[in-house]
Amino acid sequence: MSGGVAQELRRMLADDQVIDGLAAEPWAVCDRVPQAVAFPGSESELAGVLERASAEGWTVAPAGRATWLFAGHPPRGIDVVVSLKRLERVLEYEPADLTVTVEAGVGLDVLAARVREHRQWLPLDPAGSPRGTLGATLGTASWGPLEAGFGRPRDQVLGARIVTGDGRVLALGGRVVKNVAGFDVLRAQVGAWGTLGVLTSATVRLHPLPEADRTLLFTAPAKEELVSLARALACAPVPVAALELMAPGERDTGATVSVLAARLLGTRDEIEGLHRALATTVPGAQPRLLEGEASAALFRNMAAVEDGAQFVVRLSALPDRLGWLFEQADRLAGLSHEAVGFGARVTAHVAAGTVRVIVAVLERSPGWVERTITRLRRVREELAADGGTLVITRAPPELVSDVGAWGIDPGTDPLIRGLKQHFDPAGILCPGRMEVV
Amino acid sequence: MPEPLPEAVLADLRRIVGVDAVIDDPGRLLAYESDGLTAYRRPPSAVVLPADTAQTARVVAVLAGAGVPIVPRGAGTGLSGGALAPPEGVIVGTARMNRILQLDAPNRRAVVQPGVVNQHLSDAARPYGLYYAPDPSSQTACTIGGNVAENSGGPHCLKYGVTSRYVTGVTVVRSDASVVALGGMGREPGGYDLVGLFVGSEGCFGIATEIEVRLSPLPQGVRTLLALFNRIEDAGHAVSSIVADGLLPAALEIVDGETIRAVEASAYAAGYPTDVDAALVIEFDGVDAALDAQAERADVLCRQAGARDVRRARDPVARQRLWQGRKKAFGAMGRIASDLLVQDATVPRSRLPEVLGRIREIARHYDLRVANVFHAGDGNLHPNILFDRTNEDEVARVESASKAIMRVCVDAGGTITGEHGVGLDKRAYMSLVHGPEELRTQAAVKAVFDPTGLMNPGKVVP
Repeated sequence: MSGGVAQELRRMLADDQVIDGLAAEPWAVCDRVPQAVAFPGSESELAGVLERASAEGWTVAPAGRATWLFAGHPPRGIDVVVSLKRLERVLEYEPADLTVTVEAGVGLDVLAARVREHRQWLPLDPAGSPRGTLGATLGTASWGPLEAGFGRPRDQVLGARIVTGDGRVLALGGRVVKNVAGFDVLRAQVGAWGTLGVLTSATVRLHPLPEADRTLLFTAPAKEELVSLARALACAPVPVAALELMAPGERDTGATVSVLAARLLGTRDEIEGLHRALATTVPGAQPRLLEGEASAALFRNMAAVEDGAQFVVRLSALPDRLGWLFEQADRLAGLSHEAVGFGARVTAHVAAGTVRVIVAVLERSPGWVERTITRLRRVREELAADGGTLVITRAPPELVSDVGAWGIDPGTDPLIRGLKQHFDPAGILCPGRMEVV
Repeated sequence: MPEPLPEAVLADLRRIVGVDAVIDDPGRLLAYESDGLTAYRRPPSAVVLPADTAQTARVVAVLAGAGVPIVPRGAGTGLSGGALAPPEGVIVGTARMNRILQLDAPNRRAVVQPGVVNQHLSDAARPYGLYYAPDPSSQTACTIGGNVAENSGGPHCLKYGVTSRYVTGVTVVRSDASVVALGGMGREPGGYDLVGLFVGSEGCFGIATEIEVRLSPLPQGVRTLLALFNRIEDAGHAVSSIVADGLLPAALEIVDGETIRAVEASAYAAGYPTDVDAALVIEFDGVDAALDAQAERADVLCRQAGARDVRRARDPVARQRLWQGRKKAFGAMGRIASDLLVQDATVPRSRLPEVLGRIREIARHYDLRVANVFHAGDGNLHPNILFDRTNEDEVARVESASKAIMRVCVDAGGTITGEHGVGLDKRAYMSLVHGPEELRTQAAVKAVFDPTGLMNPGKVVP
């Protein structure tokens, strides 16, 4: 049967646009290996594949460069992965408008290099490889430290073209920064994890590339000692570009240093002014300064913090609950008694109130899955009682399927189902990935 | 004429919200016959003013049970006819839901009822060094609920973004009387971005009864400049060169000669010379240490683009005076024409000079006076057409000119509305920017939120 789907796809696309068998294994979505991977070369080819898939009942997951296919809630099953990596043209770039329209398969690194020529940039720094595509970044609404200063993908995207599950092409939003011509349907697509359509191109707003880059680096033996400093900086009367608190795996080595990094971006004058204001906010603190490339390098390293990890969970609450979020994080970090293995890195997007627990290698003793499920559920309940959330980015799929990656609020079920019904009537796009649809 | 509600329905409503909070007296209903776009007038059959989420849900249950269309309304400052009810419809006003429920300074957020006036929220936040960033021109009257419905902008959106960037959560009463809480600061979106989807839904998805918004720290300093141009196209070029230079002003606003002369002839005279073709208001805010250099650079760029003079506000009083010419523009225009059609469209900012020229040609062709006052940095145009509504021929020309202006903006890669919304007024233009499949999607998404089809029917979707 597995040959069937690939064979059918080869009738629609060129031979080198379809792979299957062993070649498809690196394209597994949460361990679900697809029967075939298709590489459409145009929006209309993609629409053809999806229309056919809806008719045949093939389940489909969109992808970019396969850098993040392990993340999120596992779909029930995937017959076909469609990679958009061949859609990699810059369609329109007008520097004076501070906007650029590109195809979904353009890598964030390629986009950055292109707009840098005009001293512009797209301030999105999601975790993971910079080769990741813009389409995947928007589809998963992934963000990183720069969220503190610049907002999330939803704040940067002005318009997009998508193909629905049944192959309809929709142009959503536009190319201008202010646009209220109708309901903001595009919002539903950003962060829908490929369950409502496949993005083929997007227009994003760019920002002037900052002239100067400085990071103030504060250190302490334990992360708890940096909490009040972090909160003071988050409440400073000037905006910071990023504010990250990182604690390495405390059980790994015993001797550790936690780091609080406040990144300032702007003109040289601006950075001096920001620095002065922060120094007044936290008098006496003596940060080390990283300038220019060194500052950028620190944040490139931070973006790689999840790479290769087997377990990544995000805990969120109101930002002033940072200390309490760390306590909750420690409950997960301390799940196992092994001296090595569940030593977890804990890192906080301080301004957003999001703490990640990152474990490189899981030591799975008997009963581990059940214990972890119980623990995750309990932490999620406690966070929910305080208006927060627990989101699983990465964990063994059987565990995520059980707990639910997002823990979707049942109150929104009817809305989620209704949207799914319109954008993917046959229910072929990543079924089950949004838990309820 | 409005159709009166059945007495039983009125009685139910009065039981829920109290006798004083149900308006069905035809005289008093006249206050609700139009919004800020007075070309459309029709009174509702009644107005109900619930005090909170629970009352709103009960009111909606009664109305939906009787099959009565429901139209949410804030302060009625909207400019697209969005808050008008059909003759058999009832307006659910938010006037009594005007409390700030939480002002949470450590988390830079506020939870408000929808009837809170935009400016009042900023005033309440100021003692904490915070403010609410979106600042529509009507901010002293318009409400946060209305801002959410319209995804409102304002002069400072160039740097700070529009309402949707600031709304983190919303409690919605849907037309089946169900109450759903969407989003919330401190929560990662599980499932779809329903808050983002709700913002800008023009009252067609449900009634927002509690709104959580992000507050921002007050900027350390502000510098305001006024550049004067003999040709409006040059002002447009100055805007492009300022942005291309990597500067990010908080505001970049153009006021054209027609508007300036109206303002200067009014009680709001701001001291602008009346023989210029355009004035460009430029404002930088943020870290004080950086502002002088930014202002100096903008000054140079304006002169290179052909500005005949660039003035700087040296103190808050001077700053207010510079802004007066922009902020009082609409009020002043009311003096020189009996009627004013405030248009709204967005173009890519690099196309501004060309589009402004085309608008001028259109005005000449239809023999109309068009005064431009707009958010140039965002490419968000407001060509205001002055006319007399008793002159039938002129009204017809206004309609034709409006259509022509919309067409020019869309052809330039822009859209039919940047901040005023579609409402009743722009439904006919929706097909200029949306294809049939996109329009079906608009209707389908409304139906998801509004299962009964009773929530502000006949708006937005043609």
